[in-house]
Amino acid sequence: MKKAILLLSVFSFAFAQDSLEELKRQLEEQRRQIRELEKKIEALEKQKLEAKEEVKEEQKPAPADRTLQLRVKYEERLKAFQVYPFRQTAFLPDLSLIVDTSLVGRNKNDQELKRLEIPGLYHRHGSEEHGILNKNRGFNLNYAELYLYAPVDPYFDLYATIPFSEDGAEVEEAYAVTRGLPFGFQFKVGKFRSSFGRLNAQHPHVWDFANQPLVYKVFLGDDGLKEKGVQLNWIAPTPFYLLFGVEVLQGENEQSFGTEGFKVNTRRDGSGTDITIGDTKKPNLYVGFVKTSFDVGDLSVLTGLSFATGHSRINHLEGDDPHAFAGKTKLYGFDLTAKYMIDSYRYISFQGEYLYRDQKGTRYGYNNAGDLRTAELKKEQGGFYTQLVFKFDRRWRAGVQYNLINKNDVKRNGVKRNLPDNLPAYYAMLEYNPTEFSRIRFQVGQNRAFFHDGKRKTVNEVILQFNFAIGAHGAHPF
Amino acid sequence: MRVLVLFLLFLSISLAQLKVVATYPWIGELVREIGKDRVSLYVIAKGTEDPHFVVPKPSHIAKMRDADLLIVQGASLEVGFLPPLLQQSNNPKIQPGRQGYLDLSQFVELIEKPVNISRAMGDVHPEGNPHYQLDPHNIPPLARAIAERLCQLDSPNCSYYRGNLEEFLKRWNARLTEWDREFAKLKGIKVIQYHKLYDYLLQRYGMVLVGTLEPLPGIPPTGKHIEGLISQAQGVKFILQDVYHEKRTAQFVAQRLNAKVVILPHDVGAVLEAKDLFSLFDEILRRLSQ
Repeated sequence: MKKAILLLSVFSFAFAQDSLEELKRQLEEQRRQIRELEKKIEALEKQKLEAKEEVKEEQKPAPADRTLQLRVKYEERLKAFQVYPFRQTAFLPDLSLIVDTSLVGRNKNDQELKRLEIPGLYHRHGSEEHGILNKNRGFNLNYAELYLYAPVDPYFDLYATIPFSEDGAEVEEAYAVTRGLPFGFQFKVGKFRSSFGRLNAQHPHVWDFANQPLVYKVFLGDDGLKEKGVQLNWIAPTPFYLLFGVEVLQGENEQSFGTEGFKVNTRRDGSGTDITIGDTKKPNLYVGFVKTSFDVGDLSVLTGLSFATGHSRINHLEGDDPHAFAGKTKLYGFDLTAKYMIDSYRYISFQGEYLYRDQKGTRYGYNNAGDLRTAELKKEQGGFYTQLVFKFDRRWRAGVQYNLINKNDVKRNGVKRNLPDNLPAYYAMLEYNPTEFSRIRFQVGQNRAFFHDGKRKTVNEVILQFNFAIGAHGAHPF
Repeated sequence: MRVLVLFLLFLSISLAQLKVVATYPWIGELVREIGKDRVSLYVIAKGTEDPHFVVPKPSHIAKMRDADLLIVQGASLEVGFLPPLLQQSNNPKIQPGRQGYLDLSQFVELIEKPVNISRAMGDVHPEGNPHYQLDPHNIPPLARAIAERLCQLDSPNCSYYRGNLEEFLKRWNARLTEWDREFAKLKGIKVIQYHKLYDYLLQRYGMVLVGTLEPLPGIPPTGKHIEGLISQAQGVKFILQDVYHEKRTAQFVAQRLNAKVVILPHDVGAVLEAKDLFSLFDEILRRLSQ
């Protein structure tokens, strides 16, 4: 505690020092201006005196005239009609709107697709469907995302991302970032995309493919790891890029974490007694990451390690196959990006991430007779994606992505379940970017990770995606 | 805890050299002329790169983290890569509005400031044409601005910076008279350029711009536009080509118009001969005088 207070006081001291400096500087500036003004006034008065002397010799203007002139001037000012003196438009934040729409062709119809699951890893449930891109066959409006940014004051910047869908709007991100912490620190507070991994912090419109990678879908969900919380990061004073960060997050992610407890009945039909599983402690999720980058000639390498740990409450009690899970989850991530710049417009970029999940806890489910069965569940699962993107022209990019989940060990009460551990998906895309603000992408893919009733169901799809951005100029991603 | 803070303070004080990050090589050259060995310099972009499309590499963040001064060209030229680097630099000293942020576009008269603006007009900058470094008369006020800012940030070395400035200006002004005389010979010649990159040079020395290969700023040439350009243009002597765009279009137009393609450096390091600011303008002159 003492340490914390000391740390805080050091920070506030640094802040104060900073603003003191600023004040001093401003004072100095004002003094200088005053001195200049004084000089000017002196000079003017001198001129005036000289002028007066000249006027005396010539002819004095009639005093009546002068009062008349003044009166006219005052009356003008009095009559002046100010329409809107409190106009604040100068403070309008940077605004942009990003629209993503697609045309999808798929060998499975939307109902069939909904029923498909990735055994031990992913299944769709209930009405919670937001975040899935290119969901339906035919036309999709994936999002119309409003993005706002402006400095709050000298101490904070504020960012907000509000994607609108046809059903409504949500606050995907709304966070403040410090502008002035000393010694290479930065603090973030609000709701934001966690810096876990490489792709998670990026917005879908800067992704290289129309969908998120398979490992992200199964471990982090269709929305990715977007949480309320805080982040502290620090750039080390090294000649190369070295970033450390920690996050304390609420941990509501529906695929791996979750905070809300639940009630299970000992009978499936609800005629037994209720067992209550309490909420997790909140906040629930702790994330740590380290990232580093270096250049070798025209080749830039960025690599990182990430770790996330938290409790889990996964509630799928509504539905055909009611079940729930309460336990603990650890996620590990490794990412590597290598980008070779050929010239200003062309590059070859390799990117890959490996994610590993270690989950332990109690599973609640029902047997055929409708009695509650609890089991000790242990999951050790891992997979990766690798992709190669070639920007071969100022306006054209092509790329391939390979996804594989190759570890899927699930044990119930110590007995290993026989689940498939060879779950691949392949994608290829070709992109035409008329400018930085518009993109047309054609993507073909085959996903061999989906199963139904124990049988593999291959999903083939083609996607024609359109992405447009208006308003403030977005930054080019690395 | 106290030891750590003291150590960090010590670290920040002990490194006495002023750390300057410049976005483009020509700015770096000015810093080198004035700061010499009393500043350490890092330049983000390369002279051979398209100044609009510089890759925001994480390695730049590491350099910006420790910088005392960031000098930018401004006029939205860096809008595609600098904002995220600045945000991630975790360095309060170089944020816009602070003393460690210097926008050189504030010290020159920008031309071609659009009255109306829309992205339908291509990549137009609301502040005006940002490529002002190619008017050699713009260099002295910029050098002065850099010297003054170095003085403010590092007052013990102020007289050193001012001395270097005077010495630089003396050399520059001497060359300027020569350049003015030599460039004057090019007055009235008709040129076509790829992008509106050389407008400041053309305007200063009275060269006539017939058109650009780009139909709109930032939009690659189209067949229709090129045909239109060829049918209207007469007596064009040079097609001014930058180092980073494709050169086929320029060659095609040159052939049709019986003009000559001149690859013109826009920045220090764009071509081998442009080693510093002096040789940059020498080389421009040499290539236009052939």
